[in-house]
Amino acid sequence: MNRNKLYVFLSAACTTGIIWLAITYRREASNGGELGVCLFKRLTNIPCPSCGSTRSVLSLLKGDISGALMWNPIGIILMVFLVITPGWILWDLLRQKSSLFDFYRKSELFLQRKWVATAAILIVLTNWIWTIYKGN
Amino acid sequence: MEAQRVDMFILTNAKYFESYQINGIRDRLVALDDSRWAMISTVQLKDPVISLVISILVGHFGIDRMVIGDLGLGILKLLTCGGLGIWTLVDWFLIMGLTRQKNMEKIQPYLF
Repeated sequence: MNRNKLYVFLSAACTTGIIWLAITYRREASNGGELGVCLFKRLTNIPCPSCGSTRSVLSLLKGDISGALMWNPIGIILMVFLVITPGWILWDLLRQKSSLFDFYRKSELFLQRKWVATAAILIVLTNWIWTIYKGN
Repeated sequence: MEAQRVDMFILTNAKYFESYQINGIRDRLVALDDSRWAMISTVQLKDPVISLVISILVGHFGIDRMVIGDLGLGILKLLTCGGLGIWTLVDWFLIMGLTRQKNMEKIQPYLF
């Protein structure tokens, strides 16, 4: 994956994320209930590791940090991603640099270390068990 | 390299690459020195069919992307609930081609 491909991909991901948030926000405002696009939850009836992150981001937008943590802490990571990435991509494009791409490459190498990978897997698993327990 | 050895390599490893890449790989291998053989024969290539199975079973969690080496994208897929399910579906169709591409990237440094 080269720089431009990654930037196009991340921009598309952010746009989809923002459109998705807008749709769920409007639906929530009109009490339309959950949309439930999670394939895993539909098939198995068990919430997936990131179930509840949309509601978490929506809580964050309303300023309810503890609510966001309770729904799913992944929502906070996604919110940070949604806020930082578009600006970083624009910054890179304007200055014709590839700092985000370099950062992506470096973090990939960092995550490949055994202890980092193990810790990350453990955190995701613990969070998943908590999500299942809460029944998001 | 001996043509017979190269043909043997192509026969056993053709499934790991795109069909349009095979001729190029064959030509490069024939032109290569014999001393490179040990390196090339030990390159660990990923089976596209295994990737497809992983993608169908646990692609929703981004494991398929992580297995082929796109760690960052795999994590993004995991955190976004398989890209709202859309990315999961798209990857079922893309993952075999992506695996072959990754295999090509892996063997390329040894060919030149």
